[in-house]
Amino acid sequence: MLESIITYSFFMQVFRMFTPYYLGASAATFSERSGVVNIAIEGFMIISAFSYAAITIATQNPYLGLIGGLIIGILFSLFFSLFTIKLKINQIVIGVGFNLLMAGLAKFLMLLFFHSSSNTPGYPHIPRLPFLKSIPMIGDLTGDSIIIFALLLVFISQTVLFKTRFGLRLRSVGENPEAAETLGIKVRLYKSGGVIICGLLASLGGIWLASNQGSFSDGMVAGRGYIAIAAMIIGKWKPMNIFFACLMFAFFESLEIALQISGSGIPSQFVQMLPYLITILVLIGFVGKTKPPAADGIPY
Amino acid sequence: MELTVTKKVKANILSTSISLVATIIILFVFLYLVGKDPFEVMQKMLTEVFGTGYGIGQAIFKATPLIICGCGLAFCFQASLFNIGAEGQLNLGVFVMSIVAYMFDDYLGIFILPIAVAIGFAVSAFWGFIPAYIKIKRGVSEVITTIMMNFISLALINYFLIEFLAVKSTVRTEKILDVISIPKLSVFSDYFEGSSANLTFFFAIALAAATYFIFYKTSFGYKLRAVGLNPKASRYLGINTNKMTVIAFMIGAGITSLVGLNFVFGYKGYYEYGFSNNLGFTAIAVTLLAKNNPIGIIFTALLFGIMDYGGLSVNTLVPKEIMLVFQALVILSILSFDRIIKIYYLKEK
Repeated sequence: MLESIITYSFFMQVFRMFTPYYLGASAATFSERSGVVNIAIEGFMIISAFSYAAITIATQNPYLGLIGGLIIGILFSLFFSLFTIKLKINQIVIGVGFNLLMAGLAKFLMLLFFHSSSNTPGYPHIPRLPFLKSIPMIGDLTGDSIIIFALLLVFISQTVLFKTRFGLRLRSVGENPEAAETLGIKVRLYKSGGVIICGLLASLGGIWLASNQGSFSDGMVAGRGYIAIAAMIIGKWKPMNIFFACLMFAFFESLEIALQISGSGIPSQFVQMLPYLITILVLIGFVGKTKPPAADGIPY
Repeated sequence: MELTVTKKVKANILSTSISLVATIIILFVFLYLVGKDPFEVMQKMLTEVFGTGYGIGQAIFKATPLIICGCGLAFCFQASLFNIGAEGQLNLGVFVMSIVAYMFDDYLGIFILPIAVAIGFAVSAFWGFIPAYIKIKRGVSEVITTIMMNFISLALINYFLIEFLAVKSTVRTEKILDVISIPKLSVFSDYFEGSSANLTFFFAIALAAATYFIFYKTSFGYKLRAVGLNPKASRYLGINTNKMTVIAFMIGAGITSLVGLNFVFGYKGYYEYGFSNNLGFTAIAVTLLAKNNPIGIIFTALLFGIMDYGGLSVNTLVPKEIMLVFQALVILSILSFDRIIKIYYLKEK
């Protein structure tokens, strides 16, 4: 039975599903490395997926949709830093509020603009990359600029976080803000930086989902923002480990879809809950010890 | 000492009212920007809700589960446990509650009601025990575990419902006998004719009063709040903080299951997948807005109930989803004004 599921298209599917997870998980990583817990990844994905959809429908230009979606992501991250860094409000409570706000806004605006509670009209996706899209076998993956970016991001974030001055300072702010401040590092500036990068990457994840699906629908993000946070925890806040965690979750999701289609009798709900179950087990300490940045979640 | 207390109370009232006004202003501007007449919307909403007994009844019906769930959350929040898992906890409890009720309703008649409710309560309490236990044993934040457990519980319910228990081609359980139900308010007064409001509303009020009494008039409540305010100091005072964490979480999660009284026994007679419609999250807003005070929760829940039914009634003018935006804005503005007032009025750091 397994041979019928693990096929070429299944393999491609895993890498497609990997993309929003990895973008969301690295988003969360940049924020938490700077000491700000952002559980609103889900909301960021939803609102920018919707923005991409709405702008692309209005202008028929997916590039404008892409830029618009990213700008919306940045705007919301600025708000997020205002609440969490400037006003020092409990980051988790703010995250819950943001999730509700962004999901609510997308639902409301969809009804207002498109008079449907389920989905928007169709729109063009972000054009495939020339040349790369015609590579045999893997053209579907390599032609997609955001998938390529997500794969490169493994190395980019590893380098930025661990090999650059910015990354070192970002991490020091998340580990010990008092010490960082004494060394002359502008703590709040770096925290805001972390939050903005987080908003950008999470938004890109949402935009990819919207572009890939060809029409925005209510519930299309489907908890991926939370799974991304789970992947970050399991990956212990390290880009390389998170890569494997995301691959694993992408594998489960693809398996779930394949099981549903094949009618194998294995209940898809159990595959569906695996990521969450594994995360809890990891947190309890069954699968190695996890250690978040020392000052994670503490306002400074 | 007296003086500081009154100043704190004043600050609470101040921040709640400023946030409400601010939210309404933001909402008005927003409605105006998207090309709607905010005053027309407001007027229609008020006449629809308060103009008829049906409207008031529906607002009460929507407020009832918010009061109940809010009281449950207050147990956790008072102890500084940020339980985001109410959605999962209450669904699991209500699901089991309605299954027990329809399986044994033939044999036990009306006596099945307290039994089913007790079992539902126990299931939700158990679901609340898990994050509490993980927190005290492994130091894992309850926020992450409860979020993850929301997904797990909904997937579990979905599985058992679809595979075994649902009525064919629906997502609901079988109907419980009609005799096992909580009377509607319309039975007592024609004024509420047609609305789903039922006696659970008075139960919810009583629950809020009892919760208030526990928080502020018993030594248990004192300990609970002490743990929330300063766990370290409470430990020096000899309070077993771990035990309080587990108890608060279990009672709190258990109480959320009681929303089943309103929906299952007071209204539909069965569990339906998705019945809660984010109730567990809306109740967070209700509870925060009331500053975890159960009496305050009655009023904030009624406000949200009015908004909820009011949103439905203006659906022709503006999508009812505007209420989702309203709820989120309430949370964000209450949090910010709390903070701002703390800094500038109470001069705290």
